[in-house]
Amino acid sequence: MTDKPLEPDSGLTQPETREESEAASIAKESPDAAVASAPVSDVEGMKEVLLDDYTAWSRDHWFHDDIEMHPALIALRAAFPDAVVDAVRFRDETTIHVAPGQWRAICLFLKDHPRLRLNFLSDVTAVDMLRLRENPRFDVVAHLYSLPNRVRLRLKTGVNDGESVSSLVPIWNGANWMERECYDMFGIIFEGHPNLKRMLLPDDWDEGHPLRKDYPLRGWSEFPVMNTERTVGRVRTRWTGRGVS
Amino acid sequence: MGLIHDRYDKNIFITSLDFLFNWARRSSLWWLQFGLACCAIEMIAASMSRFDLAERFGMLYRASPRQADMMIISGTVTKKMGPVVRTLYDQMPEPKWVVSMGSCANVGGPYDTYAVVQGVDQIIPVDVYMPGCPPTPEALYYGILELQNKVIKYETMARKQGLTAAETHRQAERQAAMGALDAVPAQPGV
Amino acid sequence: MTTNTTLPTPYEAGAVFSTDATSMGPLTIEEDAALQSGERVMTLNMGPQHPSTHGVLRVVLKLDGEVIIDCDPVIGYLHRGTEKLGEHHRYAQVIPWTDRTDYVAAPMNNLGCVLAFEKLCGVTAPERAQYWRVIMSELARLASHLVWLGTHALDIGALSMSLYCFRERELILDLFETFVGARLTTNMMEIGGFSRPIPENLPGMVRDFLKIFPERQQEYADLLSANPIWMARTKGVGVIPADVAINYSLTGACLRGSGVNYDIRKAMPYCVYDRLDFEVPLGQHGDTYDRYLVRMEEMRQTIKIIGQALDQCERMDTELMAWDSEYVIPPHKGTMTTAEDMQRHFIWVIKGFSPPVGEVYVAVEGPKGELGYYVVSDGSPLPYRFRIRAPDFVNLSSLPYMANGSMLADVVALIGTIDIVLGSVDR
Repeated sequence: MTDKPLEPDSGLTQPETREESEAASIAKESPDAAVASAPVSDVEGMKEVLLDDYTAWSRDHWFHDDIEMHPALIALRAAFPDAVVDAVRFRDETTIHVAPGQWRAICLFLKDHPRLRLNFLSDVTAVDMLRLRENPRFDVVAHLYSLPNRVRLRLKTGVNDGESVSSLVPIWNGANWMERECYDMFGIIFEGHPNLKRMLLPDDWDEGHPLRKDYPLRGWSEFPVMNTERTVGRVRTRWTGRGVS
Repeated sequence: MGLIHDRYDKNIFITSLDFLFNWARRSSLWWLQFGLACCAIEMIAASMSRFDLAERFGMLYRASPRQADMMIISGTVTKKMGPVVRTLYDQMPEPKWVVSMGSCANVGGPYDTYAVVQGVDQIIPVDVYMPGCPPTPEALYYGILELQNKVIKYETMARKQGLTAAETHRQAERQAAMGALDAVPAQPGV
Repeated sequence: MTTNTTLPTPYEAGAVFSTDATSMGPLTIEEDAALQSGERVMTLNMGPQHPSTHGVLRVVLKLDGEVIIDCDPVIGYLHRGTEKLGEHHRYAQVIPWTDRTDYVAAPMNNLGCVLAFEKLCGVTAPERAQYWRVIMSELARLASHLVWLGTHALDIGALSMSLYCFRERELILDLFETFVGARLTTNMMEIGGFSRPIPENLPGMVRDFLKIFPERQQEYADLLSANPIWMARTKGVGVIPADVAINYSLTGACLRGSGVNYDIRKAMPYCVYDRLDFEVPLGQHGDTYDRYLVRMEEMRQTIKIIGQALDQCERMDTELMAWDSEYVIPPHKGTMTTAEDMQRHFIWVIKGFSPPVGEVYVAVEGPKGELGYYVVSDGSPLPYRFRIRAPDFVNLSSLPYMANGSMLADVVALIGTIDIVLGSVDR
């Protein structure tokens, strides 16, 4: 399935064969039918049914109360048995923590999956978890969006200081600048990135990575006053009577 | 033309060459077309249709620093941008004036962070400071008028002795101004 | 310049050029060989002080004659550390900094930030406040598109367009000034709605503006749309096919100009956009001219949206501020009269509020594309992580794709068509 411009709803609701379309229409009328017919105790069997049935991919399941019903989670668990670390639902938003080893493979899988089709990379960023947990230190966060399905998914992977995570640039060119910014601000190394260097800060910036939690807001050093045979101090404040510099 | 007809044709005005030059300079200040941040949008708005700053004061914006008389620092000066601002200032011919527009250029404004120079006067000397975030076009007007008052008092002799002498003169003025501030007693508890 | 015996620091004025030269990199072996063999590969620096780069963007171009063979945008000259500032201030204090990211459409930035905070806290603004949020943010979209049109046309050579566009933009700024008193950095929206009342004359002023704007816009379209110079400078310039646009994560008119239907107002409606009738214009060829047409049509649709929103909310007489004991500032009147509200106000201001632990990503359709706010809360009054997904930052990354192989004179057209604001690109 290529990334041609499509009408937003076309890909999901176009069953290939007539039987499937009939089944889909029946399922559409009674969305609980397929779930009810599956044996509740047999979780694996239920997953099989869900994967094959239309209702498992309906929009409701992306926002289902039970996060285990989330289609991306089911598909990921089936394809990468050890990769999913955790899955969190907060305010209708789903976060899936995955292992860092298969980061690029998972993103590629989610992009090319014929039903999930999370083909749009909204954002790549990172969070420094220094104050919240021991290990790993950083969370690399990718926000994926599905243009046909109109749903978002947040993928996270943990990476320690000095470790590297595979870059997403081979999948999406848009990740190029976002990952560069991430490197600039956090010092996370993206393996396979074509041009990983400073972006927002000067090339000769040697003070570290400012969005880390152990970096002070005002930085480590003062700005050198240039060309100084004369120093220009700040004008004193009238009310406090103190000079600033 | 009845009012002034035949009244001013045989008069002689005596003035100093300094005043004549300064009058000409004041009336056609060309500014460096150089926008930094949010204040640049207000600067553009001031020079556009409604406020028409450029035409009213005989001002014109030039993209080249070699042809500019004054520089409006319109916005936040970051540490990455600081060397560029200094280079542009050095490229401008004497005499030159600098207007610092907005709180960010004055003292860093709300951006007290690792990336921002806390006041453009750490890099280049500033003649007129304009408060506001951003200053409205009316405030820019007022700042330009204040600058014109300063331009008319510019001393050519100091200029002839070179940059250092002019800067010394300017520093002496600044010291005098700061001495005047020292005379104001500090108010305790504020 | 006095003689200086000490070693020059990198910040010495004379050394600036050398740092610039090293940052664009020495000549590679291939380039050196090309130079030796007589091919003319020239490195041209454009910016950061350049009249056509819309601020402090710097583009390093490698030219073969007049054809661009490599293009490297250098950004960060306006990086002010907004995200770091957001982590050091309480939630309500963060909102004014969002004004100053995309400063030509400040209310739109407020809207995205406020919606993210509200989603984190579980607060919903009253209906009337949501309508006014739509009206104000759509006016901001108009203002932003007017700045885009004026500067884009100015870069290409139509000087008078900027004069016309800023004339109409002043009318919009007057509306903002009537509402909040500020022209540019409005800081208009608050968590829970608006704490200021809507001025009585404001709806009438907006309606007056809606009456005069369409014919003015038609004037611009008459001046530009069939102008042979404009068409020669924009048609076929900077073509982005649809799959490439998705691959580069483009949003806004850059994506819709290539024919991909992705407008967050339609795809995932926020506020009251699901009750308003409007269309999403799409381009066909993905070139600069199509993006121009898309933005012009967006302005017409925006006028339609504002009119409908005004009609729908004019009979409403409900509150403008949600009532929430913890997350929303108490009403001004109550603060002045009742003790409970006064105490609540004191705690809200001094201590701030602590949202539940969690993380949200809220995106709104800004004038330039998907404007996303990613907020992580650790249960303290300060955001643990405050991330702004700036649309033009991502859109600008497609400049090398568009510029490579095109002519030098097209670069200003390409920068204009991406519609960048450097405060938003660098944050």
